[in-house]
Amino acid sequence: MPLDFAVVQGPLEVLGTDHAWAFPWLSVSILFPIVAALLIPFIPDPGNGKTIRWYALGVALVTFLVTVGAYLNGYDPSVAGLQLIERVEWLPDLGLAWSVGADGLSMPLILLTSFITALAVLAAWPVTFKPRLFFFLILAMDGGQIAVFAVQDMLLFFLAWELELLPVYLLLAIWGAKKRQYAATKFILYTAGGSVFILLAALAMGFFGGGTPNFEFTVLAAKEFPARFQLIAYAGLLIAFGVKLPIVPLHTWLPDAHGEATAPVHMLLAGILLKMGGYALLRFNVQLLPEAHAQFAPLLVVLGVVNIIYAALTSFAQRNLKRKIAYSSISHMGFVLIGIGSFSALGTSGAMLQMVSHGLIGASLFFLVGATYDRTHTLQLDEMGGVGQKMRKMFALWTICSLASLALPGMSGFVSELMVFVGFVNSEAYSLSFRIVMAALAAVGVILTPIYLLSMLREIFFGKENPELASHNELVDAEPREIYVISCLLVPIIGIGLYPRLVTDSYRASIEALVLREDAAMARVLGPAPSGLIRGSQTQPVSWMPSALLQAPSVG
Amino acid sequence: MTSASDLAWLIPVLPMLGAALVGLGLISFNRTVNRLRKPVAIFLISCVGAAAVLSYAALIEQLAAPPPTEVLFNWASAGSFNLQMGFRVDALGAVMLALVTTIALLVMVYSDGYMAHDKSYVRFFTYLALFSSSMLGLVISPNLLEIYVFWELVGMCSYLLVGFWYDRDGAANAAQKAFVVNRVGDFGLLLGILGLFWATGSFGFEEIGLRLGEALNNGSVSHPAAVILCLLVFMGPMAKSAQFPLHVWLPDAMEGPTPISALIHAATMVAAGVFLVARLQPIYIQFDEVQAFIAVIGTVTCFLGASIALTQMDLKKGLAYSTVSQLGYMVLAMGCGAPVAGMFHLVTHAFFKAMLFLCSGSVIHAMEEVVGHEPVLAQDMRLMGGLRRFMPVTAITFLIGCVAISGIPPLAGFWSKDEILGQAFNAFPLLWAVGFLTAGMTAFYMFRLYFLTFEGPFRGSDVALQARLLAAAGKGAAEPEGHGEHASQPHESGWQMAAPLAILAVPSVLIGLLGTPWHSRFAGLLDPHEAAEMAEQFSWAGFLPLAGASVAISISGITVAVLAYALHKLDLATAVASRFPSINAFLANKWYLDAINERIFVQGSRKLARQVLEVDAKVVDGVVNLTGLLTLGSGEGLKYFETGRAQFYALIVFGGVIALVVLFSSF
Repeated sequence: MPLDFAVVQGPLEVLGTDHAWAFPWLSVSILFPIVAALLIPFIPDPGNGKTIRWYALGVALVTFLVTVGAYLNGYDPSVAGLQLIERVEWLPDLGLAWSVGADGLSMPLILLTSFITALAVLAAWPVTFKPRLFFFLILAMDGGQIAVFAVQDMLLFFLAWELELLPVYLLLAIWGAKKRQYAATKFILYTAGGSVFILLAALAMGFFGGGTPNFEFTVLAAKEFPARFQLIAYAGLLIAFGVKLPIVPLHTWLPDAHGEATAPVHMLLAGILLKMGGYALLRFNVQLLPEAHAQFAPLLVVLGVVNIIYAALTSFAQRNLKRKIAYSSISHMGFVLIGIGSFSALGTSGAMLQMVSHGLIGASLFFLVGATYDRTHTLQLDEMGGVGQKMRKMFALWTICSLASLALPGMSGFVSELMVFVGFVNSEAYSLSFRIVMAALAAVGVILTPIYLLSMLREIFFGKENPELASHNELVDAEPREIYVISCLLVPIIGIGLYPRLVTDSYRASIEALVLREDAAMARVLGPAPSGLIRGSQTQPVSWMPSALLQAPSVG
Repeated sequence: MTSASDLAWLIPVLPMLGAALVGLGLISFNRTVNRLRKPVAIFLISCVGAAAVLSYAALIEQLAAPPPTEVLFNWASAGSFNLQMGFRVDALGAVMLALVTTIALLVMVYSDGYMAHDKSYVRFFTYLALFSSSMLGLVISPNLLEIYVFWELVGMCSYLLVGFWYDRDGAANAAQKAFVVNRVGDFGLLLGILGLFWATGSFGFEEIGLRLGEALNNGSVSHPAAVILCLLVFMGPMAKSAQFPLHVWLPDAMEGPTPISALIHAATMVAAGVFLVARLQPIYIQFDEVQAFIAVIGTVTCFLGASIALTQMDLKKGLAYSTVSQLGYMVLAMGCGAPVAGMFHLVTHAFFKAMLFLCSGSVIHAMEEVVGHEPVLAQDMRLMGGLRRFMPVTAITFLIGCVAISGIPPLAGFWSKDEILGQAFNAFPLLWAVGFLTAGMTAFYMFRLYFLTFEGPFRGSDVALQARLLAAAGKGAAEPEGHGEHASQPHESGWQMAAPLAILAVPSVLIGLLGTPWHSRFAGLLDPHEAAEMAEQFSWAGFLPLAGASVAISISGITVAVLAYALHKLDLATAVASRFPSINAFLANKWYLDAINERIFVQGSRKLARQVLEVDAKVVDGVVNLTGLLTLGSGEGLKYFETGRAQFYALIVFGGVIALVVLFSSF
């Protein structure tokens, strides 16, 4: 294995020996919400769900605090390798173990999950239909999703991945809008279809090389898979995770699922579920199959650009508010793909930040969609108009979140997109012409995003009040709970926007180690002087890397 | 002792904190904060005022020609890359700081009067403070990256302020158009910045210039590539400074409140593009093609703006096209390699154009008493006339502005415009000729505005004419408004509005004297070397003929305006307009650029988007549904998949997964 792997494992042992018994932060944050959810049937409730709501909020908050505690007490951002490791043998014959841990790839997303879930519970305050089941599912999902990011065993990962499907399915099918059955079925078919590939890949990788099967990430990473094996496994996993992210053309479940979900579920779908795809791509495709990644990466970049432009155009034409925002999510995830494919620390770091940032911004927009629907009782843009006159605070919140979504500087979306751009343009992995074309096309998104977001605002809030809408509905302005939810989301959005290192420093070491691994794999696969339209010829190395760049750029 | 330059970071931060505080208050305690009108206004004005004091202190320090102050910190980093932020104070920045804070302060005082009756008074002041902060941040940015950040922020403020009266359709459309057109420019700017960073590994202005030169010399970057990068970056200023063909947003942006037109769309934000080009001179100076391109774009814009302004009937639109034209002059100066001249015109123009816009605001404010709050009526000069008798302060200051912009010595516009024309004469004689012609047009249309508005009889009470204008604008008959009786004649505005006009009149008259070609203090501050050279090369024999010609053409322009609109000796409608109807229509339709824009870009993008959606729904999703239909074989397809069965299926999937795991574990 490349040398860097030893570095990755170094601190691991130190942690293991020094702390004989540490508080199992991660296991608690996974199991606590699930166990607490199981207790919901025994909670006395007068029937309107009031006690349940407060109970769920309390549980979600405690979970959030536990993950924060994990970050503060057991996590050292300067370490590249796995930390907070907890390992208990489960089925030794199968090599299955309860193995959880966190590194830079998972820690930010674990925090994001518990944070967004707590806000989603607060967003679910108006849910009065079957509140017990609803909050049970939300809390179960909380634990399940933290598990997806924290587990360090591929089979366990597969279980967690599948486990999280069920609550989403039920949340869609029971609390959704008119076409909820269709949407829920489509969602589960799509995702389950994709998961087959995960299972196959996991089994193949676990059994590879003979001996006792072992699915632990560290073990898998140490295996030297042959090139063809890597390519096949990579392709399968790409389909599975591409459904989740989603990658065009595997995206059509998303507008339906998002279009039918209620606001809190919506926040979870956009805020966390999509990130599972991006995380898994980094964790498996990049970390475990780096050589295949070196060959597939240009495809990722192209798909990312397609995502950005295609989804932005569809979003522009959409007349349904929820679907519009759903497509905008797809568009934003394109930057994650480009970042993952960029072969640069800055770009990959940007992809990671884009996931966090979109988790926050997407959740806030979807929350606002729900809050607006509660008042207008329609999602059709044609039936709105001039709403801003009665709902001025709502208008302000919408404007701020839309501006965040169109990557206004000072907010997190701008930083992550900028990092992806700068990282990709300066990547040595591609030829100059490929970089120019892709960057220029991706930058078209810079024009398209404001077009659809601002015309959306224009149609909802600006202009004369729609008399029909005003006569049928009482347009009350935002209530304190809603302002509070959005403010909670805006604090990190603006915080990251002003000083991105608040977040990027927490995973910097891991990303840099990952990119080193990528580069080593790239060198093995392509050799020292690749040629071709995409990879570019290195015959004139000077022309691709101006000498000025070889010195670390110091003064900005 | 800390110098003012070290504290310069406070200049944008102070108004930002003020705006953030009031903004939070507006969202949390809307009613209470909305009632605190005067306290909020005083608080925000003092924030900007403190920034102004610091700015002047920094400017005074720069008079001693110290080395630039630059402070940087690592803002984002990964691998070996560090993206840096910070601030930089040098002479160019200090001049802009002083200019922006001065005008922002005066506009805020003015707004207290202008927006007195508006229910969103507090929100307006918050936006103003936010804009001032963003603009000041842009001015002290030490590198292209940070410029881009604030560039976007001023664009956002412009969006918010143009769409301030969001219940008006016109304002809503204009705000969106302004933002999107600016994003088109930002598209180029972003790519250009990325490209320059690729080529030089730096975002700093001088460094890029230096390293790009090196890279060109050692052949690592080809000449055409460097030119393309420079042009891409120039797209940003083209959009922000309303240069042809991306100027289309600026006239529409006049839908915003008039103080905004004065501050953002005349004096400061639109000048940001010119400022950026000045900052980029170390880069652009290396490429003759780029310079020539910039000069040509500037000249075209300059001519286009003036020609359209000739036929405008809307007072603010007339001033807006005049701004477009004057920005063209500044860009022309940049293209001629004379950034000092361009910056000087930026400064003088900022004063007199802000004053002119504020005058127009005062006029509109007065007209609204007579014709009601309908922009179609309140801004149309056909309903004005004779206003000098009712509002002498406004009329006199407007006249001073007209003389200043027309280039009559010794007022401000003469010195700066003449400087640009002189530079153009040496660099591009053909472009000089166009600029020279435009100077005559400028004098004509400005005095046309003056005479139509302030002289002759007052036409505002003509109800038939009002109805005709409304019908032409497609607005239908005037809706009876709840304001009761309209006044029969307009009145002069209160002191909050009159005082800034009077104050701005002083620099409009005098500031040009700082830039006399034989002893230019302004050039001495920005570029002492060039100032010395200018003074050395100066000769009356070279100066007088060009200056004389400029003054002559301005005076002939004024004479035509006097004959046509004051003495009515010359009927331009029959003499010119009816004889050349095509030219008249061409100008009245603004060179048909809006129509082309609408036809190709707006409709085109809508159509494309609809088609993509169609493909998405029918083809991509169709394949999915078809697959579902075939695999399930239910014959009814997914859409008819009813309640019980779907859940059952989900359970099967889930159960299957568990079974698989159990199966494997029994190995």
